[in-house]
Amino acid sequence: MERLMTNYFETGAMILFGIGFVMLLLHNNLIKKIIGMNIMDTSIFLFFVAKGYIVGKEAPIIRQGHKIIGYVDPIPTALVLTGIVVAVSITAFALSLTIRIYEEYGTIELDEIMKKRGD
Amino acid sequence: MNIARNFPLIIILMLFISAFSMPIMKSVRKIKAFGFVTMSISTILAGCNFLYVKTNGKFEYRVGHFDAPWGITFHIGYIEAIMGVLFTIVATLIIWYSFFSIDKEIKENRISLYYLLINILVGSLLGMVFTDDLFNAFVFLEVSTLAGCGIIVIKDKKDNITATFKYLVLSSLGSGLILMGIAFLYPITGHLNMSLIHESIMALKGAHRNILLISVSTFTVGLGVKSAMFPLHVWLPDAHASAPTSSSAILSGLVLKPPVILLMKILYKVFGFEIIGSFAILDVILILGSIGMIVGSIAAILQKEIKRMIAYSSVAQMGYVFFGIGLGNELGLIMAIFHIISHAVTKSTLFLVVGAMIEKTGSKKIKDLKGIGKEMPITLGVFTMGALSMVGIPIFPGFISKWNLALATIETGRYMFVGMILLSSLLNVGYYFPIVINGYFGEENLEGKVYKSKVMPMKRLIPVFILVGLMVMTGVFSLNIIDMIRQGLV
Repeated sequence: MERLMTNYFETGAMILFGIGFVMLLLHNNLIKKIIGMNIMDTSIFLFFVAKGYIVGKEAPIIRQGHKIIGYVDPIPTALVLTGIVVAVSITAFALSLTIRIYEEYGTIELDEIMKKRGD
Repeated sequence: MNIARNFPLIIILMLFISAFSMPIMKSVRKIKAFGFVTMSISTILAGCNFLYVKTNGKFEYRVGHFDAPWGITFHIGYIEAIMGVLFTIVATLIIWYSFFSIDKEIKENRISLYYLLINILVGSLLGMVFTDDLFNAFVFLEVSTLAGCGIIVIKDKKDNITATFKYLVLSSLGSGLILMGIAFLYPITGHLNMSLIHESIMALKGAHRNILLISVSTFTVGLGVKSAMFPLHVWLPDAHASAPTSSSAILSGLVLKPPVILLMKILYKVFGFEIIGSFAILDVILILGSIGMIVGSIAAILQKEIKRMIAYSSVAQMGYVFFGIGLGNELGLIMAIFHIISHAVTKSTLFLVVGAMIEKTGSKKIKDLKGIGKEMPITLGVFTMGALSMVGIPIFPGFISKWNLALATIETGRYMFVGMILLSSLLNVGYYFPIVINGYFGEENLEGKVYKSKVMPMKRLIPVFILVGLMVMTGVFSLNIIDMIRQGLV
């Protein structure tokens, strides 16, 4: 329990991951599915950044006349930047597909779409 | 000849850059020719690269001359070189075939986008195979997923859109898990380069076992979604069955494969056999693979549409690949890679041929294909050869992989799984042969059919013939290929 409290960033990220995962898989509404997907992605980014962060240390930028006593790991931040780009493009694509689904079926509820496909 | 070291990077860059110059071209003919020419040049470059690897052995290529921890490196060994040749040559032949079929399936103003997506797709697949950097592989995986969704939805019918949505949601789940795996692995190793991660993991000496276990399982599930491992294959039949013919061939023949190769690299190169062997992960992959072989085949028997049947057959065949990985010995791994090659050439042939049959008869249903052997004798002949390879008849590559997988299973002493392979092969007979038999034989089937009435024009059949030739060659020269893969495994 104490471990969970000290690493509260990671704990929070895992809880968010669970919420996003369940939303992505169990919700019928396509927009809610996409929101769940976004929550899941964001939780992973939070986890990744939290892993590179060290409390009290600075960003890795060297300035004149400034003494640096250790800095946070810049690589996770850079990777998360790429990850955000990927997540944004997937979200945009999924939303445009949702628009097309709404045009074709007149609904974005998955169970109603399945019903319409059945007959 | 040192310039051949640059070819893997040049292929990827050329495909990406040429892709984005397609939308500015006006004429459809020019776009098609451009797509074909760029892919053929990639094939030639991949061939030169293969010859280079054959004479000089494997090498590390540093992108931009930065060394490993700072820059991205490509690892080009036998397996990567073979995969490069395989992917480019199959893609070239599918593009050749698509000249004659794509106009009928998608709108004319989308054709430039279609060839754009195919070039990006093949480029990213090759990048995923070549790269030695985990995060770079992740980015290429995402590019390939988006491009793969694109070539399904480009047909713009109701079924395509829902199938693509399903594919997109499930594979974004998979990519989330893969990123999670990297996020777990990075803090304890401090590297993204596969060889360096392996060194760090070895230096841990058994510490952080739980984190390693979480990481390897998220990688397995994530990549399993992308390459249709058994319980995660639900997106595949919809997506592959509704896509245009040439897209189905590319999706089934090529897009499923690089995630599996990445999984092999992660299991055996990043973690190493010592760590993997101490977890139960290989047994899980073995069991899921064998269930996939059986369930995929049974589901294929139950299908009424021919393209869905072949799509389920892909699930079964990917089951063989996972089975080979899960066996955990050298022969099993070699056969998994060999089966990737044989499945790539065979399944793309089958999808192209079936696409032609559907186009000529105008029906997707299996029952409408009775007596097709009289109307399209050559096409069904090609289908028969593909089916024989899938079932595992000697000379064809499917036999070699099944035979050796059985030998590898006996080597590990798990005799029950040999029965699984046999059962799955018998089930394969159960869904491929009725089509062939009802196509060629039976009085009532052939009644009223005119001989060669729906025969395909010769120029359209040439790429299919070359693919069949490649398939037979893979079977005949299987010993050489297996030998090369063995050398490539290190």
